[in-house]
Amino acid sequence: MLSNKGLMFQLFIFILSVGYLVTAIALGQPILEGGLEPSFYPLLLGFFSVLFSSILLYREFALFKSDSSFAVNPIPGREKLAEKANYAPLWIMLAIFVYILAFTTAGYFISSVLFVFSIIIIFSSSQKIIQKSIISIVIVSLGYLVFEQMFGIRLPALWE
Amino acid sequence: MEFINLVMSSFSMLFDPFILAYVVAGFLIGTIFAAIPGLTATLALALLLPLTYSLDVTTALMACASIYMAGMCGGSITATTINIPGAPSSMMTALDGYPMQQQGKGALALGHAAVGSMVGGALGALMLIAAAPFVAQASLLVKTTGKFSLLAFAIVVIVIAQRGKMVKAAMAACVGLMLSTIGLDAMEPVTRFTFGLADLTAGIDLMPVIIGTFAISEILIQTNSSVDAKKAAEAFSKVRIKRRDFIPPFSAIRDIGVVCYLKSSFIGYFVGTLPGAGGSMGSFLAYAETVRTSSNPESFGKGNPKGIAASESANNAVCGGALVPMLTFGIPGDPITAIMLGVLVINGIQPGPQLMSGQAELIAPMLASLLFSAVILIPLTLFLLGPYFIKIVSIRKDILYGAIALLAVVGSYVATYSTFQMVMALVMGILAYYLRKNDFPVITLLLGFILGPNLEEFLRRSLALSNGNPLTFFTNLDSLFFIVLTMVFVYFLAIKKPLKSPIVGAAVK
Repeated sequence: MLSNKGLMFQLFIFILSVGYLVTAIALGQPILEGGLEPSFYPLLLGFFSVLFSSILLYREFALFKSDSSFAVNPIPGREKLAEKANYAPLWIMLAIFVYILAFTTAGYFISSVLFVFSIIIIFSSSQKIIQKSIISIVIVSLGYLVFEQMFGIRLPALWE
Repeated sequence: MEFINLVMSSFSMLFDPFILAYVVAGFLIGTIFAAIPGLTATLALALLLPLTYSLDVTTALMACASIYMAGMCGGSITATTINIPGAPSSMMTALDGYPMQQQGKGALALGHAAVGSMVGGALGALMLIAAAPFVAQASLLVKTTGKFSLLAFAIVVIVIAQRGKMVKAAMAACVGLMLSTIGLDAMEPVTRFTFGLADLTAGIDLMPVIIGTFAISEILIQTNSSVDAKKAAEAFSKVRIKRRDFIPPFSAIRDIGVVCYLKSSFIGYFVGTLPGAGGSMGSFLAYAETVRTSSNPESFGKGNPKGIAASESANNAVCGGALVPMLTFGIPGDPITAIMLGVLVINGIQPGPQLMSGQAELIAPMLASLLFSAVILIPLTLFLLGPYFIKIVSIRKDILYGAIALLAVVGSYVATYSTFQMVMALVMGILAYYLRKNDFPVITLLLGFILGPNLEEFLRRSLALSNGNPLTFFTNLDSLFFIVLTMVFVYFLAIKKPLKSPIVGAAVK
C-alpha cells in the first residue's frame, strides 16, 4: 500500500484537510453574538476539504484494492506495466533548495552557475562536462544582463 | 464612446520605440514559448512577471497582451508541422493542419492559421473594447451579496468545466482557498494558520504561487515528458517551408467564408468570458460547430482549411473574451489573465468598475496592444520569421530548462528580495507538481487562491448586513441571478450528457 504513490498522495491531501479543519476549530467560535468570527469561513472550507478528500481517498483505495486482487488473481493475457523509477524531480527539488540557501551567501554568480549546471546535467547526462559548464556560465551571464543591467534589479554578490 | 476614443488614441503610444520594443519582444517570446512543445505562453508570462516590477504598469500590460495573443496562435506552428500542438488551444488546429503538411501544403496551413488568428484576435479585441465599458457599468448594479454569488459562480463553473475530474478540481479549488486564508484576517486583527511564522503574517504572495504553480512545477513535470526533442528535431529537419507559400489565395479564404470566421470568433469570445474555459474549449466548440454545419463534414480531419480557420479564429477571440471578467470583476478567465491580474495587483490597481471609469487610461493601451498584435504582428511574424521558428523549436531541452529554472527561482527573489518568497515558490512548485501528476487541475487552485479573500469578505459582509440570515442570497435580485445562472451551468455542464459529434469524434481519434 505504501508503494502506491497515488494512494499516498490522496492520504496526504486528506491529512492536510483534517489538519486545516482542526486548526480552524482551534481559532475559536465561528459565530459570536450574531456576528461571524474569523474561524467561520475556515471551518466551512475545512468541512468541504475533508469531504472531497475523503471521496478521493475512498476512490483511490477502492482502485488499489481492485488492482491488488488482479495481482493475486491475474487475468490471463493482462500485462503488468513496470514503472521506471525517476528520481530526476527529486534531484531538481534538492537543487533548487540548495540554490536558495546558497543564493544570498555565495552570491548570484557562483550559486547560479552551479545551479544551472546541475539542472542541465539532470536533464541530460554527465557527458561533455566542459561544454555544459561553459553553457551554464553563458546562461548565468545573460541572466545577469537581463536582471541587473536591463531591469535594474540588484542581485546578491559574494563580497557583500 | 469615450473609452473607444481613449483606445484609439492609445495607438500613438506604439510609436514610442521603447514601448514598441517591449510589445514586439513580448510577442516573439510568447510565440516561441507557445511553439515549443512543453512550454506555454503562461510559463513565459509567469517568468516575466517579476520583471514587470521595474516597468511602468502600462508598458507591462501592453507586453502581457501581446504575449497573450502570441500564445494563442504560436501553438499552431508545431501543431501543423509535426502534429504536436505547442499549446492546448491548438489541438484542433492539428487535426487539419498536419494532414495539410503531409500533403505538402504545410506553409499554406500556417498561412490559414495566421489569417484565422488575425481575424479572431481582431474581432475579440474589438468586442472587448465595445463591451467592456457597458459591462463595467452593469457591474455597478451588483452589490455585496451579488458579488459573493458571482465569485462562487466563477469557482463552481471552473470546477464543473473539468469534466471527468470534478471532485479533484473541487479539491484543488479548496486547496487554493485554504492557502488564501493564511495570514492576517481581513476584518479582525487575528492571524490564521501562520504557526508562529512572522513571514506568513501578510499571507502568501501571489508571485511565488504563480511562479511555483506554472514555472517550477513545469520544470519538474518535464523530467517525465514523453516529447523527445531529438525526434522532434528529426521531424523538423524534414519540413521544407518557403516564405511565398505562406499567403493563402483569396479564393481559399472565400471558400472558407465570412460566416465561418465570424461565427468561430463569436464562439471563442463568449467562451472566453467563462472562467476556466480557455482557448482549447473555444477552439473545440467552434470546430465542432463548423463540422456540424458543413456540407461535407467527412472532409474534416483530412486537411480542410476551414477546420484550421475555425479553430484559430476561436482561440484568438478567447483573448478578448477572457479580459472582460478580469477587468470588470477581477475574475480571471484563464491562467494568463490570472497573471495579468497579478500585474495589476502588484501595482496596487484593483480591477472592477472603478478601474474602467477612473483609470481607463491604464487599460486602454493594453487593448490597443491586443488589437495591434492581432492585426499587425501575427501576419508579420509568421511571414518574416516563420521558417526560422521551426529551427528554434528544436532547441536542446537541458539548456532550455536550465535557463527557465534560473529565471523562475531568481524571479521569485526579485519581487521582495526575500529568500522566504523563494522557498514559498519551491513549496508551491512541489505541491503543484504532485497535484498535476495525480491529475488535479491547478487552474482551479489558482482561481481559488486569487478569489478566496474576496469570497470570504463578501460572505461575511453579506451575513453581517443581514444579521446572519443566509436567505439574503436569495432575496437580493443580483445574487439570485447568479445563483440561477450557476444552476443553469451545473445542469448543462455537469448533469446533461454532452452531444457527441461522430465526425469530430472520429477526427479527434
